[in-house]
Amino acid sequence: MKDFDYFTPKTAKEAVSLLVQLKGEGKIFAGGQSLLVLMKQNMIAPEAVVDIKGLSELDYIKFDAKKGLTIGALTTHRAIEKSPVIQKNYPVLSEMEDNLAWVQTRNYGTIGGNVCHGEPAGDPSAVFIALDAKLKLLGEKGERITACEDFYKDTLEVDLKDDEILTEIQVPAVLPNTGVAHEKLMFQKGELGIVGAAASITINPASGVCEGARIALSNVASTPFRAKGAEKALIGKTIDDKVLEAAAEAASKEVSPPSDVHGSEEYRREMTKVFVKRVVRKALDRAKAKS
Amino acid sequence: MKGELRDLKFTVNGRPVELKVKPKTLLMEVLRYDLGLTGTRSGCEVSACGACTINFDGMAVRACSILALQANGHEVVTIEGVADGEKLHPIQQAMVDHGAIECGFCTSGMVMSARALLTENAKPTRDDIKKAIQGNLCADSGYTKYIEAIEIAARKIGGGE
Amino acid sequence: MSETFGNFSVLGKPIRRVDAKAKVTGQAKYAADTEVANMLWGFVKRSPHPHARILNIDTSKAERLPGVKAITTGKDFGGFKWGWSNPTRDEEPLAVNKVRYLYEGVAAVAAIDKDIAEEACDLIEVEYEPLPGVFDPFEAMKEGAPLVHDNRPGNITVEYHWNFGDAEKALANSHLVRKDTFQTPRMAKGYIEPPAVVAYWPDPNRLVYIGAKGSPYFPYRILSRCFNLPLSNVRIIAPFIGCDFGGTKNDMTNGDFSAVMLAKKAGRPVKIVSSQFDALTTDLRRHPMWITMTTGVTKDGIITAIHNEIVSDGGAYTRMSPLTHFLTGICMGMPYHLPNFKHDVACYFTNNPSSAAMRGHGIYHTAFARECQMDMIADELGIDRVEIRLRNVIKNPEPGTIYETINGAHIATAGTEECLKKVSAAVKWGETKKREKVKGNKAYGLGFATGCYLSGTQLSAHNACAAIVRVCEDGSVNYLTGATDVGMGSDTVGSAIVAEVLGITIDDVDIKRVDTAFTPADPGSYGSRVTVLAGEAAINAAEDAKHQLREFAARKLGAMEDEIVFKDKQVFVKSNRARSMSWDRLVRMACYDAPGRVIIGRGHSKRATDLHTLADFSTGKGDIGTNYSFTAQAVQIEVDTETGVVRCTDDNNVIAHDCGFPLNTQAVETQCLGGSYHQGIAAALYEEFKMDKGLTLNPNFVDYLRPRAYEAPMTEVQHVITNDPFGPFGAKEASEGSTCSAPPALINAIHDATGVWVKDLPAQPEKVYWALKGKKKK
Repeated sequence: MKDFDYFTPKTAKEAVSLLVQLKGEGKIFAGGQSLLVLMKQNMIAPEAVVDIKGLSELDYIKFDAKKGLTIGALTTHRAIEKSPVIQKNYPVLSEMEDNLAWVQTRNYGTIGGNVCHGEPAGDPSAVFIALDAKLKLLGEKGERITACEDFYKDTLEVDLKDDEILTEIQVPAVLPNTGVAHEKLMFQKGELGIVGAAASITINPASGVCEGARIALSNVASTPFRAKGAEKALIGKTIDDKVLEAAAEAASKEVSPPSDVHGSEEYRREMTKVFVKRVVRKALDRAKAKS
Repeated sequence: MKGELRDLKFTVNGRPVELKVKPKTLLMEVLRYDLGLTGTRSGCEVSACGACTINFDGMAVRACSILALQANGHEVVTIEGVADGEKLHPIQQAMVDHGAIECGFCTSGMVMSARALLTENAKPTRDDIKKAIQGNLCADSGYTKYIEAIEIAARKIGGGE
Repeated sequence: MSETFGNFSVLGKPIRRVDAKAKVTGQAKYAADTEVANMLWGFVKRSPHPHARILNIDTSKAERLPGVKAITTGKDFGGFKWGWSNPTRDEEPLAVNKVRYLYEGVAAVAAIDKDIAEEACDLIEVEYEPLPGVFDPFEAMKEGAPLVHDNRPGNITVEYHWNFGDAEKALANSHLVRKDTFQTPRMAKGYIEPPAVVAYWPDPNRLVYIGAKGSPYFPYRILSRCFNLPLSNVRIIAPFIGCDFGGTKNDMTNGDFSAVMLAKKAGRPVKIVSSQFDALTTDLRRHPMWITMTTGVTKDGIITAIHNEIVSDGGAYTRMSPLTHFLTGICMGMPYHLPNFKHDVACYFTNNPSSAAMRGHGIYHTAFARECQMDMIADELGIDRVEIRLRNVIKNPEPGTIYETINGAHIATAGTEECLKKVSAAVKWGETKKREKVKGNKAYGLGFATGCYLSGTQLSAHNACAAIVRVCEDGSVNYLTGATDVGMGSDTVGSAIVAEVLGITIDDVDIKRVDTAFTPADPGSYGSRVTVLAGEAAINAAEDAKHQLREFAARKLGAMEDEIVFKDKQVFVKSNRARSMSWDRLVRMACYDAPGRVIIGRGHSKRATDLHTLADFSTGKGDIGTNYSFTAQAVQIEVDTETGVVRCTDDNNVIAHDCGFPLNTQAVETQCLGGSYHQGIAAALYEEFKMDKGLTLNPNFVDYLRPRAYEAPMTEVQHVITNDPFGPFGAKEASEGSTCSAPPALINAIHDATGVWVKDLPAQPEKVYWALKGKKKK
């Protein structure tokens, strides 16, 4: 690893000031569970590291039945996994975390670090997109809110300006008659999914017709991918096997998966179908259970 | 200034430690080279093997994946701090008695993951145990006896049932 | 699981390993933990080309970097070449004129810290002329293909053509003949501890080498030759070792030679610690092999003949490929009767990292093919899969008799039949085979396989295998051995044997790990030889020490020497237990009896050289083992038929193992569990190096999957006792057979679940998925 300048700001505002001073040379560093692997292999070599791991002001989980869930960017994966509030009200997040890497990673890595890393195979971003989450960013000029689904530009490239840090993830209250689920294709528990899928399905309690669908997929494109074609195939319909098949087919056509040692493009396309079906079924069952 | 030495003050195995380190120094390097605690081992460079697992404020964490300076003000326990003098911790004793240990290279990490688990969850299921050591690679035990040893230790600590 | 066998004081039970406490407290020191005063860090510079001529190496910039203390290149070694045996010495400590695989070492630097050493390596300028390469044996064997070694036409590393009986005729007359091609993957040894070495010269004529070597007497001899030192002055010290599995830590690396040369040039100790990346890109791998097996059977499923045609990728250098390919066939005559056998195997040089031994060495490849074919044949003939094996199995010979295989291997004990019956009963095969296999998108299958493995390997040369037992005057005992414990528990078994023979406890025995200045020679930890042969040496050394004490005891107790019994730390007269004294007292008196008296027992293994006719590599005739272990295994899996993901279930995973007599029952179990999962199931399911023209695409534990805890089957291990006459206390090797039985058992289970054969390992999800689709398309 190469040497770097090192700063430990005491507040989020101070972190932003440092970023401004460092004129784009500063790298925000929290748990380092994604960054250190790259730095140890000299795949990235930041000039300066702005270590915000100690900013306890950004470590929180708050829930309001109307407003929803707010998670501070420095909340660890493990805290999310084990949070009773989340297990009760957003079990999909806790389930997703249970399959995310290994305990050691989750104990120290932060949700903010993960979301900002921009790994297209990452699980949290897919789930947050399905949940229609918003991200609160703090920069020199103040705060701005952006939708999670608009945050991803390319592999490992996110909409974070040089002077900005992520401070909070805002997850809206889950609508009634809505079920949310996450599934991923793993050969070994905890590995990056060969493909992953998150879905939020809202049904009309009386008719059972699908009124809302948000489907987000991992590792099928250069960023987390919202499968709008698949969503379209579901909305306004009663979801049965035939409809599911159509949605899955649509999803497999709109993705552009990578080929690597874990799976070819063709296999990932096939698995997109499988996992869209699985995750929609699960979300649908949850939505029905609520009705 | 890049690479400038910084103060590091933290607790290791109950004892205060004060050092000056470069920012890029990993916690594992401090433990192994500055403090001579070689029980925390290095088996890969991609945070995947778990041989360097330690307890950081009671949690299982990889020492290779933490900047040493982030340990400022925190409590670290390494494998060397688990036994009570000559008396082995029940987890250690169970692994020894049950024949789980082969070459021993992953053992430190296994003990530390198990210790964190049992501190947090006194009655782990087999599934809980498997999850707790999923991040610890072993190359020759088959994991079976490690899992059984941790079950034995949990029962012992919990007062035997 | 924790049973007791036999009537021994120490042996035949679960024995706590003598080094477990050191390992579980973190006190155990491995090579990378070694610190010596005044130490420098070394780093190896590696070739960016898989095949290239080295035109020039300019070290001048590196020499000028502050902190650099020594630099070495291949030329420093004066043309020295080394290899597994005399005719195969084709490898240099650092490449001189040519590099033959990607990342082969071309230079090394020693500096005051690791960063400077690495930076200095970047400053060394090497001019290469890239050459066209060959990257699999099929390319390598083509007419006009680039030669990896100019003096090796056809890129042939080694080939054997053996013939026993008349396989052609037997096949022609068989009721059913099956011919199938199987493929075994290119695998890492997979140790978590990367190799490491510290080397220093106490004076210009004495070398000390501390390194993770499973067979320290290899570097002992090789470094003696390389640096022109008498063996007496070469001191190889074995620290704790984090696994070996038969390669690299058994053999030399660029880093090993570099550390020694740099230490010589710098006049200071040099430490080189490999990264896991180094290990996964340059350390020895298991040969990938393409095995075409033709098996003939009668209408009752009795094997008439087997013909093997094998092509293999040996990588850049010969290493021990001659042994590997010999092993693919030498045990073909077991565990089933084989009346006719033809073996044609060829290994080719390629510009890939070298292949060499790995646990299950050689035998695993053909065992995989054969055990899958047994199921294929059983199904074609409508014979039960366990039954067909029972029909063919070599029954355990009556005590005092020997079964001789078609190629002249001598088997005194063979518990395969009992192993198969035990495993079949444990999984309730009769009921299980009738159950519903498919539940929604999951299919369940159960597969069986047998395994056998040579034990106590006999090879030509380097067979000296000795032990020393030194009885200290207070009754404590030192056991000095050249055998090396790489994690399999040989230190414990050796100490237990010494304790058993002397009638003391294992806690009274202190083992001295290998230090070639003091320990006697031993060939090393390979070929499943340590328990059998080093164990025999331990018995002989302990008996010799006991003999010296017995003389004295007889006089003191007024009895004949052969009436003296040593047991439970007491020494007494067989016919009159009252005439006795404590072990401690006897030893003290004996030691003080005469001025200068010491009780030192020495012993060596005779079976290592005298027992059988050594196998002939060119004909395939003879014994490779002192005796042979046998295994039967059942693996149950669940297939997700929508994704192709396969995993073992929690139940119905059983191994029954005949290791003759389990000296340490606990160790035998863990060894079988490990061999089955980390080498066996690993090969069948998870592991394969993916290559692109010599470049390893997945050289890390995220992209190269090693088996993990969550997916680990909680396999049950059962012991089968056959009491082999040629092993110490009846023992044979333990567990290497499970590395051979697990892969086919798993593949057979996938077939049982889905009707699909995955003949080329590993059965990773995508492969299984397409195979299932292929089946559906039909």
